[in-house]
Order: sequence, then structure tokens, then C-alpha cells
Amino acid sequence: MSAVRQAALILLAALIPALLTGAFHHNRPAWSEPIAPGEERLETILGWGSAVLWVDARSEKEYADDHVPNAIRLNLEEWDTLFPRFLDSWDRRKKVVVYCSSTSCQLSHEVAERLEQNGIESVYVLHGGWEAWKTMK
Amino acid sequence: MENHEMSSRQMHRFLPTLRLATRVVLAGIFVIAGAAKAYDPAGFAIEIQRYQLVPWLVGAIVATYLPWLEMIAGAMLFVGRLKRGALLILTLLLVIFTCALASAMIRGLGIDCGCFGKTFQATGTLLPFLRNIFLLACAAVLWSERSEGV
Repeated sequence: MSAVRQAALILLAALIPALLTGAFHHNRPAWSEPIAPGEERLETILGWGSAVLWVDARSEKEYADDHVPNAIRLNLEEWDTLFPRFLDSWDRRKKVVVYCSSTSCQLSHEVAERLEQNGIESVYVLHGGWEAWKTMK
Repeated sequence: MENHEMSSRQMHRFLPTLRLATRVVLAGIFVIAGAAKAYDPAGFAIEIQRYQLVPWLVGAIVATYLPWLEMIAGAMLFVGRLKRGALLILTLLLVIFTCALASAMIRGLGIDCGCFGKTFQATGTLLPFLRNIFLLACAAVLWSERSEGV
């Protein structure tokens, strides 16, 4: 039997336990992407309407290229300069949504944590970040 | 001339032992890696996601299927049944893994390999990359075997 046919047999054989794993394994992966604590999906946030203050935690260049309408910049490096500007725009009745580039970046979580440490309530992180926004829009 | 014949004969005797050792190492690593990941497919799906190469759903399917493929192909190579097919699969997997690791290094992702699920963490990408090169060399030794052995 040729190597390719043998390989095809093995590929098929692996399907059976894989299907059982997908159906019954106590620790099988979720088929839709799980979201981390403190994150919200864009669809949910858009449902909040205008009661949202968007915070862009990316670099100045990325912000200048494009950003969520009315988003204000805030990051840990320029905290002392940008946080007072954030306070000027902040309204206690609004939910604060922080975003960075993508799911893998941690900047939005760090900024959200710092905001909470500074007494800001209702702080969320956009799941998927700017990439999610771009995909949706 | 005589010396050359001697070393050639010694090499001829040594090659089967080298191939057997190589087969055990290659098969063993894949069986262990597959078993470690099959124990926690959800964790492995997250490790795949860190590479930022495929959408979540694709990663979840790979996390469910790949550990079993590794284990079965590794076991087949070890016991010597469907050996060439198993070797073909393991070689292709090694090429894919090595490319993924290289891509992660080039993009400066700073992630762990995830090759053994959560069993061996904080390995980075360079060490697994070098290990994969070694394993590809092992696979090349086995490909050099002429007999099918089925």
C-alpha cells in the first residue's frame, strides 16, 4: 500500500476518537470563541446605544489612522497627560468601553484595570478590539 | 581500501540501530504530545489561538482532532504498521508546526509553543523550533529506509 493510502487510513482512524472527544470530552473546546471576564462583544455594546464612552488604548499612529467615532485616547505610557482629558469626557451615566488592536493584545485590559483603580465604574473591554470593529463596520 | 570497507560494514550494522532509535524517539514524542493535548483540548484550542493564524472555530476543530492524529500516527510508527503513511503524516505535521513557530517568532508574538498542551509551559518558541528541526532530521533518517516494512 502506498504511503498516501496509509496516511489516508490513519487520518480516517483519527476521526473517530476526535468526534467522540468533540461530543463527550469533559474539557472539549467551545465552538464559538469564549470571552474573557470583563469583555463584551461588539453586538452587545452597540445595543447600549449612545451611552458609551469609547477609549482607544492603541498607539497614537494607529489612532490617527482610524478609530471608533468619538473615541478618546488613553494608555498607560501617557496616563498623566491623557487621563485628565478622559475625565473631561467621562460621564458617570456612560459605560466605558476600552479597545486595543485585537483579541490577543492586553493593553485594553491594562487600561480598564487602571481606570477601575481610579474609581471609574462600568468599564468594559471590547472583545476582539479594533479588528472586531473593522469587521463589523 | 580495506579500512573503507570496514567502516562501510560498520555503518551498515549501525544503521538499523540508528533507525530503530530514531523511530522510537519520533513516535514517542508524538504519542506523548498527543496524549497531553487530548487530555485538555479546550486548553489546546487557546494555545492554537495565540498563534493568530486561524479563526477560533478552525482552532477548536484542530484541537479536537490533531492530538488523536498525533497519537495514532505515532503509535503506528512505533509498532511498524502503516509505517510509511504514519511517517508521511508526522513529517507534514512537523513542517506545519515548524512554519507556525517560525511565523510566531518573526511576528514577535512571545508565546509558548503549546506543543505539549499545558504539560510543558514557558518553553517559548526558539527551543521547540530547534527541537522540530532535530525531529525533521529524524524523519529524514527514517525516509532513507528503503524497505516498506508493512
